[in-house]
Amino acid sequence: MSQEHIKKDEIQGPLYERAQEKGIETIWERETKQEPHCGFGTLGLCCKNCNLGPCRIDPFGEGATCGVCGATADTISARNLVRHIAAGTSCHSDHGREIAKTLLMAATGETKFYKVSDEEKLKKIALEYKVKVDNRKINEIAKDLAEKVLSEYGQQKGEITLIQRAPEKQKKIWNNFSLMPRGIDREVVEALSRTNVGVDNDYKNLMAHGMRVALADGWGGSMVATELTDILFGKPSPKRAKANLSVLKEDQVNLIVHGHVPLLSELVCDASSDPELIALAKEKGATGINLAGICCTANEILVRRGYPVAGDFLQQELALMTGAVDLMLVDLQCIMPTLSDIATCFHTKIVSTSPKARFPGMEHVEFKEEEALPIAKKIVRMAIENFPNRDKTKVCIPKKDAQDLIPGFTTEYVFDMLGGRYRPSFKPLNEAIMAGRIRGVAGVVGCDNPKMASSGSHEILVKELIKNDVLVVQTGCSAAACGRAGLLTPEAAFEFAGKGLKEVCEAVGCPPVLHLGSCVDNSRILTACCEMVKEGGIGKSLDELPVAGAAPEWMSEKAIAIGWYFVASGLMVLFGMPFPVYGSDNMTKYVFEDVEKITGGKWSFEPDPLKMAKIMIDHIDSKRKALSLKPMMYNTDEHR
Amino acid sequence: MKNIIIIGNSAAAISAIEAIRSKDSQSKITVICDEEYPAYCRCLISNLVAGDIAENKLYLRPQDFYTQNKIDLLLGKKVIKLDPKKRRVTLEDNEKKDFDVALIATGAKPALPDLKGIRKQGVSGFRTFNDAKEIISLATFAKVVCVLGGGLIGLKAAYGLKKRGLQVKVIVKSKYVLSQVLDDVGAGIVQEHLEKEGIEILTGQEAIELIGNGQVKAVKLDSGKVIEAPIVIVGKGVEPNTELVKETDIKLDFGILTDVHLATNVPGIFAAGDVAQCFDVVRGAHYINALWPNAIEQGRIAGLNMAGVNISYPGSIAMNSVEFFGLAVISIGLKKEDSHCQVLQFLDKKSSVYKKFIIKENRLKGFIGVGKINNSGVFLRLIRENIDISGFKNELLNDSFSYAKVIDLFQPDEIFKI
Amino acid sequence: MKKLYFDVSKCVACRTCEIVCCVGHSLSKDLFKSVREKKLSLPRIEVCIGKDKNFPIACRHCKEPKCVDACIAKALTYDFEKKEVIHDKERCIGCWMCIMVCPYGAIRPDKKAKLPLRCDHCVEIGEPQCAKSCPTKAISYKEEPE
Repeated sequence: MSQEHIKKDEIQGPLYERAQEKGIETIWERETKQEPHCGFGTLGLCCKNCNLGPCRIDPFGEGATCGVCGATADTISARNLVRHIAAGTSCHSDHGREIAKTLLMAATGETKFYKVSDEEKLKKIALEYKVKVDNRKINEIAKDLAEKVLSEYGQQKGEITLIQRAPEKQKKIWNNFSLMPRGIDREVVEALSRTNVGVDNDYKNLMAHGMRVALADGWGGSMVATELTDILFGKPSPKRAKANLSVLKEDQVNLIVHGHVPLLSELVCDASSDPELIALAKEKGATGINLAGICCTANEILVRRGYPVAGDFLQQELALMTGAVDLMLVDLQCIMPTLSDIATCFHTKIVSTSPKARFPGMEHVEFKEEEALPIAKKIVRMAIENFPNRDKTKVCIPKKDAQDLIPGFTTEYVFDMLGGRYRPSFKPLNEAIMAGRIRGVAGVVGCDNPKMASSGSHEILVKELIKNDVLVVQTGCSAAACGRAGLLTPEAAFEFAGKGLKEVCEAVGCPPVLHLGSCVDNSRILTACCEMVKEGGIGKSLDELPVAGAAPEWMSEKAIAIGWYFVASGLMVLFGMPFPVYGSDNMTKYVFEDVEKITGGKWSFEPDPLKMAKIMIDHIDSKRKALSLKPMMYNTDEHR
Repeated sequence: MKNIIIIGNSAAAISAIEAIRSKDSQSKITVICDEEYPAYCRCLISNLVAGDIAENKLYLRPQDFYTQNKIDLLLGKKVIKLDPKKRRVTLEDNEKKDFDVALIATGAKPALPDLKGIRKQGVSGFRTFNDAKEIISLATFAKVVCVLGGGLIGLKAAYGLKKRGLQVKVIVKSKYVLSQVLDDVGAGIVQEHLEKEGIEILTGQEAIELIGNGQVKAVKLDSGKVIEAPIVIVGKGVEPNTELVKETDIKLDFGILTDVHLATNVPGIFAAGDVAQCFDVVRGAHYINALWPNAIEQGRIAGLNMAGVNISYPGSIAMNSVEFFGLAVISIGLKKEDSHCQVLQFLDKKSSVYKKFIIKENRLKGFIGVGKINNSGVFLRLIRENIDISGFKNELLNDSFSYAKVIDLFQPDEIFKI
Repeated sequence: MKKLYFDVSKCVACRTCEIVCCVGHSLSKDLFKSVREKKLSLPRIEVCIGKDKNFPIACRHCKEPKCVDACIAKALTYDFEKKEVIHDKERCIGCWMCIMVCPYGAIRPDKKAKLPLRCDHCVEIGEPQCAKSCPTKAISYKEEPE
């Protein structure tokens, strides 16, 4: 759908056309070939859960109204949706598990390549898990914390720990409606069991469990991943960085890390600055080693260490089209298996590293925590040694300068900073909202998707939000898209923000759009919302906050899980395209009406980015009105 | 260049004109008809009475059809004599017209029973545009109508008048309605459906007298019962308009007998439509199947032969499709089985669905579909082409049966690559 | 003139053709909206199970269309230029004569609307949606061989 948009892009356009000239198929062609996507699937009306089927329901009413087992459109779409949530939750939680396991190995000395970097945060989180911190060695605390965290994956009853951060009202709702997650893996397993043939056939009951699974993601697996990664590698902080495909360098060894879990990529960062390896690179004719990221791995090393972002999900193939990538390291999630094929057109090596994710045609160097640094060095060395194979005549790096951005201004950072080191406080944010200087906060997150009719929706939506004095927080590929568009700089406030937001950005020196990290870091938004409630004045519970979220171009099951944990937590979420429920009247009603009555959260689907902004602004305004907050200080229409 | 005369101006005649003109633009064609309207869709008069359609939708062809086809059109003129030897027809006003080739497409007329009072005012057949117009005007002042006969015509009249808002009573001599079209089970569903829609049906009874002084007032039944009704519609079947050939050498049985070219025994004289008695594929004998699709096909075959093309008529089959208040009914071929037949049937009274197949020596001979009529045309084809159905007989009743199941039994089908 | 052709060896019975046919004949022409319309549209193509293959069956616009002959209301006509059978909804009375005679069972009744469901090559959109959407390219819309 968005080929035209890509062609017009100064940076992506030439690379995309290059692929076309070479007859290389990219995601845009593959998308076109899949169109129109199956209507049964799109509407959530096909079920292949058992061998009575596969079955599908006729949405136009003349054909089958239920599957062979008797499941109706309601049951089938609910079962499918719950399975999507379970899969998305599994991805984030498994990511969190890796981090926790590594923290444990670091604490026990099983691996010497990792250590606790942020002791303050370790203690803070340990206390939440009721791990004693006083007069104990760091590694003792870390060991107990990691074990406690890991035990919650298989916990059978009770409540997971980090969800205790939520306001009382939310916890009461979750307990009353059986939405409170008891463990992390446990809820996923129950989701799979319930959605088997002949088990749970009540869409409402299914969806209640679906929300419980999603909550186990947001307040469980994802939050664990975020917090423990901060402990291991440190909290993000502001630094100037670069984004887009022109970060690749003609005269350097270009090494790209792509995927999600930062365990190996962090050590690749170290390895790429190893003097011995830099010397080797020079020996091979390069002036240095250039490390850049793609997808959420990019976000992880960007917000913590300031490494450049080569691209997001949609640019992974185009990056190879530069012919300048000496090696691309992948771990898992959102990796296109076509990379290895495209790489054969150039000298590029693609190396898979996760035992959980292998790709035909890729070289595999398996990651082990115990040998993390040697493995990282080995891969960097492979990249260097591949540099002389680069055919300079085939190199085509976009000429346009890479875009500056300042990531790492997390909500935590900005407002901790404002409150002062000893009195971290969200007070300035809450006061700006109460005074009507800032309208509210919007999270714009998620994937990018070639299916979207109007590509560039992230940028259009975010510009419209900040113009209306909405502070925007971002994660994932959405952040990368806006980073490329220049929205993640303090200067963007002058150019694009409304008067009120501009004043705040000026005072703080922060961008109007804050980059919080990778997609597991959406949990930071939950934590920030809890802090806003705690600070007071803009709502006594999450559902009262003038806050809204959107994933304009969502595509992964992870996005469904994320969307649902926000909605189950009382927040409003907008997707650019619906998830598959439209085939069932009852499920559609459930999503649009019933859920709000239960959790206070709300769903909305809208493909047009300007209309998205309006829906989110209207939602924020309705919350402001309910809280009787002051009218907005500046009429945003004036400077439109 | 021939001199062609077509007597009649309905389905068969129009179809013949188009067939002739597709091969021969030169010959002179004269169409003579005693009705004063351009060709119209005769089957639609119940819908006209019902108010389903407007009068202008009744016409079969655009206004300029006759001029476009260079037809000498004589409307409102009755042919009173046909002389095959002199090859001449004489009109009512004594005008004479000579011909080289003629088509008799005079159709049929309602069969009027020998019933006391049948000529009274307010008694009408249900076939022509004029019948419909008269009934519509009578219906403006009447509340009740009595229909004699429970066949297709009777029930279509009942449907039209009920929908117009009249109270309708149907007198049926047989034990059930549509006895020429359906079996007792299928008819039972139709009858119940019509009764649910408010049509009163009295079966096993016969009118013996139409009472009234010049104007009909009531119908007296053999049961002694008297039904007051200022309109009486006679729907007791039709008989072919064969008067013209009675005194000639043209062979006549019940209708005019035709060969495979739709020619009569007299060279150059053809017959088609409701007046023609053609070979019936299912019966294996000559029979009149006075039905619109048959008339169209016969008109075309006759027309082509008249234009010098040698083309054979595969024969007619009794078939009917009607729809009463949302209930679809199709019957093809045999309706009732004899002892040599195998019968497959499915009945779901609650949803008014009935399917019946009559099979003889592994050949399909008849189909009845009530409520569910999908694939009827495939069944018609199986009957017409006399296909051995032993391989898939047990699948006929399934809703999943379709052309796909029998495709390899027919001629190669070029749109499917297998 | 173009016609629909079916390579049934490629038909996997996914019924995408049926769904896109419904959407193509809905008011909105939009999947999500079409399933919420007051009067749901029905498919004019149907995937039928053959002996060992699946056959998408739709009106093939016969050169000598039996349905046109049988139509008592003159609602069906054959357009010699377009080589298509054209249906005039205004004239149609829903008598189902066309269904009775279609040798392919390719016309189905829309009982609620009292109109026959027949392929019109997606005249409103300009190209048959089934051929455009068939994921295995089992359906193609191409020029008739001479």
